Amino acid sequence: MRKFLILVPLLFTPLAPDAARAHAFLDHASPLVGSTVPAAPHEVALTFTQNLEPAFSTAQVTDSSGARVDQGKAQVSGNTMTIGLKAIGPGSYKVHWHALSVDTHSTEGTFTFHVGGH
Amino acid sequence: MSGNHRCSRAVALALLFATLTFSQASAHCFVGARFLPATLNTDDPCVADEMSLPTISWSRTADMPPATEWDVGADFSKRITADFGISLSETWKQIRGPGGPTMAGFDNLQTAAQYQLLKDGSHELAMLLGLVVDWGSTGAINSGIATPYSVLAPTYYFGKGFGDLPDEAGWLRAFAVTGEVGYQIPSRSFDVVQQTFIPQVLAWSGSIQYSMPYLKSEIIDLQLPDFINHLIPIVEFQMSTPAANNFGNSFVTTGTINPGVIWVGSYFQVGLEAQVPVNAQSGHGIGVIGQLHLYLDDMFPKTIGQPLIGPSTPTQQLKF
Repeated sequence: MRKFLILVPLLFTPLAPDAARAHAFLDHASPLVGSTVPAAPHEVALTFTQNLEPAFSTAQVTDSSGARVDQGKAQVSGNTMTIGLKAIGPGSYKVHWHALSVDTHSTEGTFTFHVGGH
Repeated sequence: MSGNHRCSRAVALALLFATLTFSQASAHCFVGARFLPATLNTDDPCVADEMSLPTISWSRTADMPPATEWDVGADFSKRITADFGISLSETWKQIRGPGGPTMAGFDNLQTAAQYQLLKDGSHELAMLLGLVVDWGSTGAINSGIATPYSVLAPTYYFGKGFGDLPDEAGWLRAFAVTGEVGYQIPSRSFDVVQQTFIPQVLAWSGSIQYSMPYLKSEIIDLQLPDFINHLIPIVEFQMSTPAANNFGNSFVTTGTINPGVIWVGSYFQVGLEAQVPVNAQSGHGIGVIGQLHLYLDDMFPKTIGQPLIGPSTPTQQLKF
């Protein structure tokens, strides 16, 4: 027991807190996750709970057949990732994202949005 | 302090501070897009850098008349490598009988060594193997709280999210289950004080949970209040079934079913559950358990939030 009591404070000695930045969760997206929008958007914008590392944060948008409908590399600024879309029609689209927060924590996710009356 | 002890401490400190490698970390329990929170009774299926401080529970024992029991626990988990971690747990207990004496003191120190078997992001599946040891005679034996014998429990843990169901499953994809099965083997077979056999016990527990964060970020953003979007309603259960060396004792399974909720933040989570005994042998009335749980990997990502040795890359690289 005594060893245990010694060990715990020892482990916390270096706790001059790091600039604590946690995992980057998806806070909200435009179009909204799972939403149906009447007109095709020109881009997908993802806002996260933490700032991102641009070099290691990516997104792709695919249609129902799995073909990419985005315009390539996502743009990252602060906690926002934006990716342009090609001209798309009515249908369901999947957004796949992978975010690396600035403290190197990795998260990922996928969601669907719909265009038109789907 | 002996030379050996000085040397050991120097090595420990060196390891502790040699944690500044820059690699992609995915510590507490992320499996693909799924985050499995630390549950209050069932260990989550990931090695992690985390701490529960405190876990507090109140219940009434199965005795007649029932005694009142308070438990205050602390749990500290540390990754040694990306796939291997250890945990230290300690609990202070107070058992107060009606009109009778009050027993109080520390339970035996519990340790766990755990190895991450699998993290499959695409199927939101995690598996873990562990050896849990209650170290005999490290607690308050004289007050009847701790035992003089140790208990070893090889344990298997798993977690599975249902996000890989087809989109048609809709909101059901936010469900996840976790579980833990251990076989407890005491270091002694007979208690000479109580004059009873000490049984080997199958300990099994689990949870079914519904993740509002997952619903919001993966399925549909209902634009609910932020507080709601951080909740994970959960039902846990924890059971013990005597399996061997139980001569003259009951073979009845005992345990509790625990409905509750966990609020998940960026750096910590708070959980609160009721504890409902499954039968009279498991306790009387409804108890309660609460926990503050800290994500050390998020709070201290450059120091103790990293594995002591090597990079943070898990067993199976999360797929994208």
